[in-house]
Amino acid sequence: MVSHPRTEQAVARSLAQTADPRYALRRALRAIGESLGWRLGAVWEPATDAPETLTCVETWHAADIDAHEFEAASRRMSLAAGEGLPGRVWQSEEPAWVSDVVADANFPRRAAARRAGLHAGFCFPIRSARGVLGVIEFFTGEPRELDAELLGTMAALGDQIGQAVERRGDAEVLRAGEARLRAMLDAALDCVVTMDSEGCVLAFIPAAERTFGYASGEAVGRDMAELIIPPELRERHRRGLARYLATESPVLLDRRLEITGMRADGKTFPVELTITRIDVPGPPTFTGYLRDITDRKAAEADLRASRARIVEAADEARRRLERDLHDGAQQRLVELALDLRMARTRLDEEPARARELLDAALGDLEEATRELRELARGIHPAALTDGGLRPALEALAARSSVPAQLVAVPDMRFAAQVEAAAYFSVAEGLTNAARHAAAANVEVEVVQVNGALHVEVRDDGRGGAEADAGSGLRGLADRVAALDGELVVVSPESGGTVVRVEIPCES
Amino acid sequence: MAVAVVIVDDNARFRVRARMCLEADGYAVVAEAADARSGLEAARRHRPDIVLLDIELPDMSGLELAELLTREPGAPAVVLTSTHDAADFGERVSRSGACGFVPKGALSGDAISALVP
Repeated sequence: MVSHPRTEQAVARSLAQTADPRYALRRALRAIGESLGWRLGAVWEPATDAPETLTCVETWHAADIDAHEFEAASRRMSLAAGEGLPGRVWQSEEPAWVSDVVADANFPRRAAARRAGLHAGFCFPIRSARGVLGVIEFFTGEPRELDAELLGTMAALGDQIGQAVERRGDAEVLRAGEARLRAMLDAALDCVVTMDSEGCVLAFIPAAERTFGYASGEAVGRDMAELIIPPELRERHRRGLARYLATESPVLLDRRLEITGMRADGKTFPVELTITRIDVPGPPTFTGYLRDITDRKAAEADLRASRARIVEAADEARRRLERDLHDGAQQRLVELALDLRMARTRLDEEPARARELLDAALGDLEEATRELRELARGIHPAALTDGGLRPALEALAARSSVPAQLVAVPDMRFAAQVEAAAYFSVAEGLTNAARHAAAANVEVEVVQVNGALHVEVRDDGRGGAEADAGSGLRGLADRVAALDGELVVVSPESGGTVVRVEIPCES
Repeated sequence: MAVAVVIVDDNARFRVRARMCLEADGYAVVAEAADARSGLEAARRHRPDIVLLDIELPDMSGLELAELLTREPGAPAVVLTSTHDAADFGERVSRSGACGFVPKGALSGDAISALVP
């Protein structure tokens, strides 16, 4: 009876030295072959694309034999259960011994074996908890009778290799998965923070580092509340956590919340948060997905303010309209009625006085007509509706109290709200030039470039105007913003003001 | 003796016409005022029979002034007027103590005498 402690040790060493299961198998194969002095070994595994057949995935041979043909034959072959020596062992899940494969009827590679000088062979299963992972076969240079002790040792080694390979495989899959998750989390834009049941930070990804201003190394292990929750909200957070742990009643879990977060410098900011519980054995751990919504909140506030201003501007326009009508045309018509009534009562007795009153009445009527015309034009210029920007801007420039030149105006028509925005931009620019800038000259330029209407009103006045100073310019900015356009006022203290408006359009 | 009238209205063009109109119909316009404060003073000084009072005054509503005027001892009759219609002011015209309302365009001596008791 010969024991094989050297082989067992060599295999144990080879398995211990590497984490890669494929490499571990290759080393085990060589360790067995060299320690036993056998000539050739091979590993067979179920084919990945046809798991009901075995294929040869690894071979080893002693340095002094020409195993090329036999190895090639092995690697080409796929064996069904029960077919050849590997197939038999795979089927029976027990080791097997063949005194001379060249003489064995169930050995498809026997011709190649004869030419390679291979005769006795044994084969044993690589067994794991999941079943047989594959088989390992060995051949030597002369026929040899069954060595039951060797075969027993090999069967035990097969179990050992199986367990090691399986562990390696699990660890490898785990590591690969972890690396993938880590890469995903590292690239995430939202902050992912995990917390244990004590409230301590377990993980803090790069997005969280950027948002909250702590390095992962500083954050992990610290009380999450102290780290990212403003002091006045910490107690509520701790009570919520304690209540959850006591009752398991998920008040906040898996819901989208808007809360206040705190950065390392103590500044607070709005955060959108979802908390989920990680389902692992032991005390609960939690993952928080946090997103800094400062920009979104600011955009929402801007939008609300702009909407409110548009409504307020419309209301103000109605009030002004009522006032203009009341103080203007309506007064003139009242005076007209009084003049006419007085003229009538004097018609017979004081005809000269009656004529005077009628003249006054005609004057009132003319004035009322003029005021109504101006009012109507101020509400919306008829020339713009009928003829588009060119006639409307020509009329506007002609009425401007500061001399205005139209440098360029497109003849084509645009959407009504685009034309209106462009028209009122020019009107506001001219009003500003006349009222505030004390300008002597204004240039107006309207051109269509790349799907946008560019409007520019340039004056040579005193400058120093601001886009958000007057209600007129602010109202105009809102009107332009509602069309996804932009208004810029360039008005240096050194003089001159440019009102520049860009409105997306299709002619 | 002619019926004495004080006209309270911030619009000078209207005051000119109202005076002409009422005087032609035999009323005596004893004073004009352009706001509520001077209207109240004029009424106290001249003690007119009638105050023709515009509802929209710069310093106070004519409706409030009507209440003040009609609470005074020996109060004048107050006739409210406006470019707006009486209906625009709802119940406030009848509650103000004024004896009536004349739209500005319909002002005449007859319209006034029809309202004053």
